Amino acid sequence: MMPTSTTGILGHFYEPADALAAAAKVRDAGWTHFDFLTPFPIHGMEAAMGQKKSWIPYVTAVLAVCGILFAQGLQNYVMVWDWPMNFGGKPFAAWPAFIPITFEAMVFWAALGSAVIAIIAGKTDTIPQPPPMIVKTGATIDRFVLWISATDPKWDAARAEAFVRSLGADGVRLVDAAPRPGSPFDGRSGRGEHSRTAGLRRQDQTDEGGTHA
Amino acid sequence: MTRHEASPYATVMDDGHLTGRPIVRPGAGPYGGDLEVPEPLVTGGKTWADVDQDICMHAERFPTKRWWIAFSVALAFLSVLVVALVTLFYAGMGIAGVNQPVSWGSFIINFVFWIGIGHAGTLISAVLFLFRQQWRTGINRAAEAMTLFAVACAGIFPIIHLGRPWFAYWLVPYPNARGPLWVNFNSALAWDIFAISTYGLVSLTFWYVGLLPDLATVRDRATHPWRKALYNAMSFGWTGSHRAWRHYESAYMILAALATPLVFSVHTIVSFDFATSVMPGWHTTIFPPYFVIGAIFSGFAMVITLMTFMRGYFGMKHYITLNHMEAMAKILLFTGMMVGFAYSTEFFMAWYSGSEWEGFVFRNRAFGPYWWAYAIMFTCNAIVPQVFWFKSMRRHTLVLFVVSILVNVGMWFERYVIVVTSLHRDFLPSSWGMYALTRWDYAILFGSFGLFFTLFLLFVRVLPVVAISEVKGVMDPKVARGTPTRAAAAAIQEA
Repeated sequence: MMPTSTTGILGHFYEPADALAAAAKVRDAGWTHFDFLTPFPIHGMEAAMGQKKSWIPYVTAVLAVCGILFAQGLQNYVMVWDWPMNFGGKPFAAWPAFIPITFEAMVFWAALGSAVIAIIAGKTDTIPQPPPMIVKTGATIDRFVLWISATDPKWDAARAEAFVRSLGADGVRLVDAAPRPGSPFDGRSGRGEHSRTAGLRRQDQTDEGGTHA
Repeated sequence: MTRHEASPYATVMDDGHLTGRPIVRPGAGPYGGDLEVPEPLVTGGKTWADVDQDICMHAERFPTKRWWIAFSVALAFLSVLVVALVTLFYAGMGIAGVNQPVSWGSFIINFVFWIGIGHAGTLISAVLFLFRQQWRTGINRAAEAMTLFAVACAGIFPIIHLGRPWFAYWLVPYPNARGPLWVNFNSALAWDIFAISTYGLVSLTFWYVGLLPDLATVRDRATHPWRKALYNAMSFGWTGSHRAWRHYESAYMILAALATPLVFSVHTIVSFDFATSVMPGWHTTIFPPYFVIGAIFSGFAMVITLMTFMRGYFGMKHYITLNHMEAMAKILLFTGMMVGFAYSTEFFMAWYSGSEWEGFVFRNRAFGPYWWAYAIMFTCNAIVPQVFWFKSMRRHTLVLFVVSILVNVGMWFERYVIVVTSLHRDFLPSSWGMYALTRWDYAILFGSFGLFFTLFLLFVRVLPVVAISEVKGVMDPKVARGTPTRAAAAAIQEA
């Protein structure tokens, strides 16, 4: 029986090398709304998925400059402009003495800002429809899970299923578990005690887990 | 066919069978030569699923009796700290040993000591990451946690050293109603505030970013809905999507690259507290590298101490193997020699500078009334680690443990020697004096260990103590891979 509200298809692999080869095939077949869920990052996966390098380093560079400007601004304002004090006849704008704090502020802004923006980017810079979190994939245990979203322009359920099987994936299944709004694991905001428990129960019933489950 | 024969690289070994040398496969290399394969980083033929089980298990079951005993002892020491601090705040600095001429006493010693301990974690996670030292994956999580707790301990001491700790917020530059009276940015003490707080926060960020995928693993194993929701929130809904991994890996690399100079800057700035003064024995250009290498030395010693416990009591032998311990012993040997070299250089420069005061301070250090502290320092730091020239010693758990404790004792005395001997006999013999720790100094020193171990024991109860996703990345997929589902296995058999 065909699911009525299909959101995408899942299939998994057991070794990073297989996942890498599969990703390249998915890319070459022209799919764009697909993703790989993996327990650890795989070297070369960006290229295999047809992605560019991350833009996080540019964010870091901008934040580092901001940190430098902040520290220089603060120290010069305080020591030269707002309340200049004479320490043993030394110049007010004693720039060598300002270097340690400038360095620390640069690292502080760049490191914290990059981390926060990378976490946000991981949630937002993604395909239009990631796999619903309610589905147990085993991707945090030992599986390398391919997800093709139904939003893909090429989408056709039967063709997608045949394609994923042809890659040699195991556990291929169409997912219709569009979580009800309000489920804590749907990746969206919303509340509702009833739908939350209903969502959890359904997960236990319909989805197979990783090796442990 | 057993699974590990599937690949020439896949070797299932047990901890006791590790040798610390590569496995040689005659004739297996390219062009018919020998192939040398490093020994596996994870022993016991573990699968990726086993890793989850072995590491998350400790956070998922009721604490063991051993843990309760250790925790009770740590809490007892922590309560000593609390009592001592309350007494100090109530009675004032008079109950501590500091006085003229030794106005920097045990609080500064403890501060430098704990900050030094805190250097190993970020060094392991950042510097060894940049150098692609894959053995770091077994120990980096616990070592980073150790860093955070050591920095937390260190943070207490400058504040109580102020004498009026309720004014500690005056150290922060903010527009205020006192003039506005700002901090003096030309002062090394103001640099310290920025260095320590930046180090603490960046280390915390680095540690937490590393934790994200593992928190998701814990979430996926959780059965209770509240536990699931809590760990889901803590992992920011991590799914393992490679579109997220892409930014994650980039950010992790950048954090490592930023943390590396940060590690070196922190103890450099701590050493400026001494080096920018004009006291003989402090006013030297050798201080920054000398302090940094001493910090790495003491930090690794503390990591060895903690890892010995984790191997013994938390059953982490398969992840923190003897090879890991040997690698740390080598770092201890190297940094121990650097520290010994710094001690010798100081003496050489005292003589070579021709400065009367400098020469006196160093003669007084080694042969004056505090000769015993200098002897403990030199023996523990420069001589004892020399046993690690022998491979059998580097792989002997008891030797490693004892040496790591001695190094920590030695490093505490190094700071004691630096702080006390320079101050107690200054330029005027009429103002000479002696310094001794009072019972309250001792209470705060030993109490700070209570705080450290309490935090560490809580950490091992609630979070994955080994970086699960990183360890999985360095395991052989042929050994560690999951098994197909029953349906798929049946389909394969039919075909």
